[in-house]
This record gives sequence, C-alpha cells and structure tokens, in this order.
Amino acid sequence: MQPEEITNIFSSEVAEPVASPAAATSVRGVSKSFRGTVVLEDIDFDVAMGESLVLLGASGSGKTTILRIIAGLEEPDTGRVILHGKDVSELPARERGVGVIFQAYALFPRMTVERNIAYGLRIRRRPRKEINETVDELIKLVRLEEHRHKYPSQLSGGQQQRVAIARTLAYKPQVLLFDEPFGALDAQTRVRLRREIRILLKHINVPAIFITHDQEEALELGDRIAVLNAGRLEQIGTPDEVYNRPETEYVATFLGAANLLLGVVTGGGVEIGTVNIHAPEETARFREGQSVKLVFRPEDVYLSRSGALPENCQRLTNGVVEEIHFVGAYERLTLRLDLIARQPTEGAPPLYSVTINTNEKRTGIPIIVTRPKPEANSTRLQPGDRVAVGLTAFRVLPNFALASERAGSIVDIHKTT
Amino acid sequence: MRHVRGFDVVKPLSVTAMIAIMFPLVLLPLASIFLFGTSKGLGSFWAALTAPEAIFALQLSMVTSFWATVFNVIFGLFASYVLSRYNFWGRNALIVIISLPTAIPTAVAGFALLLLWGPYGTLGRLIAPHGVQVMFTAYAVILANIFVTFPLAFGVIKPVFDTMSRSLEEASATIGATRWQTFWHVTLPSLRGAIVTGALLTFARAVGEFGSTILVSGNLANRTQTAPLYIFAKFNEGQVEAANAVAIVLALFSFAIFSVLFFARDWLDTE
Ligand SMILES: Nc1ncnc2c1ncn2[C@@H]1O[C@H](COP(=O)(O)OP(=O)(O)OP(=O)(O)O)[C@@H](O)[C@H]1O
Ligand SMILES: [Mg+2]
Repeated sequence: MQPEEITNIFSSEVAEPVASPAAATSVRGVSKSFRGTVVLEDIDFDVAMGESLVLLGASGSGKTTILRIIAGLEEPDTGRVILHGKDVSELPARERGVGVIFQAYALFPRMTVERNIAYGLRIRRRPRKEINETVDELIKLVRLEEHRHKYPSQLSGGQQQRVAIARTLAYKPQVLLFDEPFGALDAQTRVRLRREIRILLKHINVPAIFITHDQEEALELGDRIAVLNAGRLEQIGTPDEVYNRPETEYVATFLGAANLLLGVVTGGGVEIGTVNIHAPEETARFREGQSVKLVFRPEDVYLSRSGALPENCQRLTNGVVEEIHFVGAYERLTLRLDLIARQPTEGAPPLYSVTINTNEKRTGIPIIVTRPKPEANSTRLQPGDRVAVGLTAFRVLPNFALASERAGSIVDIHKTT
Repeated sequence: MRHVRGFDVVKPLSVTAMIAIMFPLVLLPLASIFLFGTSKGLGSFWAALTAPEAIFALQLSMVTSFWATVFNVIFGLFASYVLSRYNFWGRNALIVIISLPTAIPTAVAGFALLLLWGPYGTLGRLIAPHGVQVMFTAYAVILANIFVTFPLAFGVIKPVFDTMSRSLEEASATIGATRWQTFWHVTLPSLRGAIVTGALLTFARAVGEFGSTILVSGNLANRTQTAPLYIFAKFNEGQVEAANAVAIVLALFSFAIFSVLFFARDWLDTE
C-alpha cells in the first residue's frame, strides 16, 4: 500500500493526531434478547478515532449481534449507539454511514468490481467524474487494477474482501465493522491480509471493529480487545492487558492456555496445599481466607533440575515430568505437582481434591508447561525426572464456582480447537 | 438386468417403448397439424393465415396475454416481496389463495368472472348504468387471462426471494441505499431469471387460454375472438384449413417460448 494514495483519498478525513482521542464509536448499555433469550447484556464500550477494537468471543456469544446493532441492522432493546458524538440509535442503517464488511463479503453478484465500488456514490447521485476518480483511486489502493471489469464470482476470497473494503471506503464511513473478515480464507492469506488491513487502517485513520474467535488474530489486529462471553463483556483492554493481566478465569483461558490452581488467601499470599505463594500485591484485593485461583500460563513456568531458580522466579513446588511433546516451535510438558491437600477444617467442604480424574486415579496436580527450544535444549528432561517448578508470572483471580471446581483443572484451548 | 453378449438389452428396449407410447399420444398429433396445414401448399396456408379475422385473433391473443403478463409479473414480484419479507398473521392463507387459480377449472373461472362483471353481476350491475361494460370486450379477456395465470409468475419468483441472502440487501442499506434503490439495483437483478421465466410461462399459458375466454369474451369475430377461439370457431364452421393455419402458429409459438425457457435460463441465471 502506498501511504500517499491513501492519505490522498482521505485527505479531508485525516486529522492532526489528537492528544486525547475522542470516542468515534460508543456503545452504551446495549441489551438485546431474541424471543426471551438474552443475547447481549448491558454492553458498554468506546472506540477511539483511528483505533481498532477486536470483539473476541466463542460462537454464539453475541458478537455479530453487537455489530448489527451498531450498523442499524438490528434494534437493541435498551441502550444507545453514538457515532462521533452523534446519537444514531434512532437512525436507519442507511443514514448511519457505517461500513460493514460482511462475513461472506456480500458483494453484488451482478455488478463488476468497479460498479460494486461505485455503488455508494452512484446511489448518492454524485457527478460521474467524481465517481470515476474515486473508483480509480480505490481500485489502485486495494490493488485490483487488473480485475476491475470482473464479476465477484471470478475473484478469489482475498480479492473479494478487498472489493468489499473499497466499496465501503468509497463513501467515507465513520466506522468500519468487520464480521470475521478472514473466516473464509486459508491460513497464509489470513496472516497476509490482516497485516495489510492493519496498515491500511492506520493510514486512513478510520476506527474499526473486528469480530473474531481466533485469539491470535485478536492479539494482532486489535489496539484493544473486548472479550465477550455469553452476551457479557468480560474484559476490555490492550492485548497485553487481556493476555497478561486477565481479570476473569474466562478471559485467562479463552486467550491462550492457562493452568488454574485452587487456593486460599493466607497472610499476603496464596496457600495451595502445603505451599504458600508470596503475592502481597495480587492478593491485596481479596480478604483473608477467601478462596481464589492461581492462574499462570504454560510459558511462565520455569523448570529446574538442580532446584535453583532465577531471581525473578517464584518457587511453586516440585513436580514430576509426565509427558513431553515437541510442538514445532516449542516443547510442551505435562507435569504433576507435589501439592498435598490441606485438611479441611471439621465439617467444611474440601477446598480442593488432589485426586485426578484419570483411569489410574493418580495423585498430584497436573499442569502444562511449555519451554522454548533453547531452554529445552540446554536443560533436557525425561519423563519421570523430578524438577523444581517456578513461576515467572501469575495472576490471582477470584474463585466463583467453588463447589464445581476441581483442584488442578487444566484448560488448554490448543487441545480443544 | 439381462445382458446379451455384454450388451444391456433393457436400455434400447425401454427407450423404444417410451417413444412408442409417446408417438400416438404427443408426437403424431403435433405432426399432423403441420402435415395437414401444409398439404395443400404453402400458398393456401399463407392465405388462411393472412385472413383478416385470423390476424385479428392472433393479435388479440398477443395483446391481451401481454397485459395479463405485465400485471401478473408485477403483482407476483410485489406479492413475493411482501410474503417473503414480512411475517404476519394470515400469511400462509394468502399464499394458498394466490396459488388457488391453478387448481380451478378454467370454465369455472370464466363463469365466476361472468357472475361478477356480467350485466347482472355484483359489480357489473353497479357499472352498467354508467355505460361501462367489461364482459364481452377485450378487457374481459385480459381479466380472464389474469385470473387463470395468476399464480404462475408468483410461483417462480417467490422461491428465489426466499432463498436470496438477506446480507446483500443489508449491505446495500448500510452503504446508504433507500429501500427502493436496494430493490432496483440489488434485488431485482438477482430476480432477472425468475422474472423472465415467470413472464414466459404466464404469457404462454395466457395465449393458449380457452375455457374461461370463451365464456367471458362472447367469441365475437374481429372483436373478442382470440386465436384459440378462432381455431374452435373455424373448425365448427368446417373451415379446417383456416383453423389449422392459426394452430400451426400457436404451436410454433409455444415451441419458441419453450426453447427460450429451456436454453436461456442458465444464461439468465448466471451472467
Ligand atoms: N435474528 C435472530 N433471532 C433469534 N436468535 C438470534 C438471532 N440472531 C442471533 N440470535 C442468537 O443470538 C445469539 C448470538 O448470536 P450472534 O450471531 O451474535 O453470535 P456470534 O457471537 O456472532 O457467533 P458466531 O461466532 O457463531 O458468528 C445466538 O445464540 C443466536 O442464536
Ligand atoms: Mg457471528
């Protein structure tokens, strides 16, 4: 993409970089039910000028519904949609000036590439000269010069998507909404296209909302990520925040793999069985004795055969290596921790059990660890090796569903997807 | 399957049997129109065809069928839009009612129109004092044609509407198009094939309509006599050549429409 071309088209739109970016799109308290089933509950977020927000959530979590509500294709039961300070909640879709890139692109099958792109200007009855110029520029921008006279059915998925983007850019939308824009493409094209789109968006300075259920895509595309679960916003923040400082167990496990250990807040730390992890800052927001979960990612675990751990590493306990797999770029191990259950006080339900639900009823809490290749090569491990286990990073999260939780539940999305 | 020297005898036998059955039932009658019509030379065929009454009958058939087709296609589009886009109480009942005329014998349809619009009919009585008469005019023929071909265009267009992806129309709306612009630029082009098919079916059926037309038109030569009525009248008068000439034209006409439906459909549906 040539930046000059892009800024050329959007010369009227490209503002001086604003110190505090004003919200370009705001969704305020939006709720929606379909026939009595709540699909969205009190959704609230802002997208700043030029920012891209990713809505991430499992299938059926309500992502498309949010997009349709912003576009005016669906009416919310409650709540408002504000675009550039203007409340558009009562406006029909055609008056909102929102650009939607539909999941299957929804190109007009009986129009050529050119006519698809010109559509927004034609229906606005712009002078022919202006239409031709804009279409020429956009076709160049999305690099479809050789395909301008083709019909959508004669284009590849990536080309169709570029037509869909150009078609919305023609009328200078206030916000771009992408519903799973890469869903229909192969893995390589996906990666290439999302880089391209990101560069494009940075130049045209139009805010964008993406929908995806692919965590990698979310981390790469989003300036911020909003994690949606069953119609509720679990957390919204930068990729770093949602990945490294998840606020709920759902976010921790939806974005990447995470090990969860059940524990109790005790004296500025988390007590898990016989060990106590010192974490005064993390536990400050909990009361003494509260049941919590220690959450850490497989790549934040340090294994040492000698028992010596680096400075920045909190000692968790010891464990036995159970399985080792090489997963391309890194090594993945299953480990069983030597955590002994603390006896519950008389009459109280057990906080956790260390019996694992496998055929063999083995004891010890299983966790998953990944190690980069250099580390794996310098400290080779075999199944059965005893190691010291340290954590370079972890989170302490409230334990909501106490009764139904197992002690060492491992949630690993790589396995399920 | 019985094979004789590796050859499946059932196949040629069944194909032959099929043709043998079709021969006296379909192919021979069609062939005899052409054989008989041209047996006295092309000159007499041409003379019979260019008789003023014959020309008038053919023209009347075309014109009345044309207007019935125009009306039914537009109505079929409108009704399909309403019935596939909106959900309301009584929607299925309306779909059944629109489809009903195909199931009604054409003579009954013509009779019903007579009862309504005839000089003593419910509506006919109201308009007669104003000097307006519908029955026994070309308008009656159009009304009859509309009635008997009512569901044809609708029946072709509605399924296409139902299966059409809503996202095209939604995309058009988000781009800023009004409902009318969306319909004109996006919906209608996708219906092109269905509209042409529906129109041809309607037209072909209307041109051939006999049962209802003979009741409502009065069968007046040079005034309300359509081509099928002309064939019937001339045959009754013993003028077989005259009847035959027009019959040939109608038959060729149906072949033409059928070929278009058969061969042009793919072309209409793609491009
Ligand atoms: N028009 C509708 N009528 C009834 N229910 C609907 C309608 N649209 C969506 N839903 C329901 O709302 C819920 C959320 O749907 P939505 O399409 O927003 O999910 P999503 O997060 O986009 O899922 P996916 O990733 O599969 O696209 C689903 O349970 C769906 O069945
Ligand atoms: Mg969706």
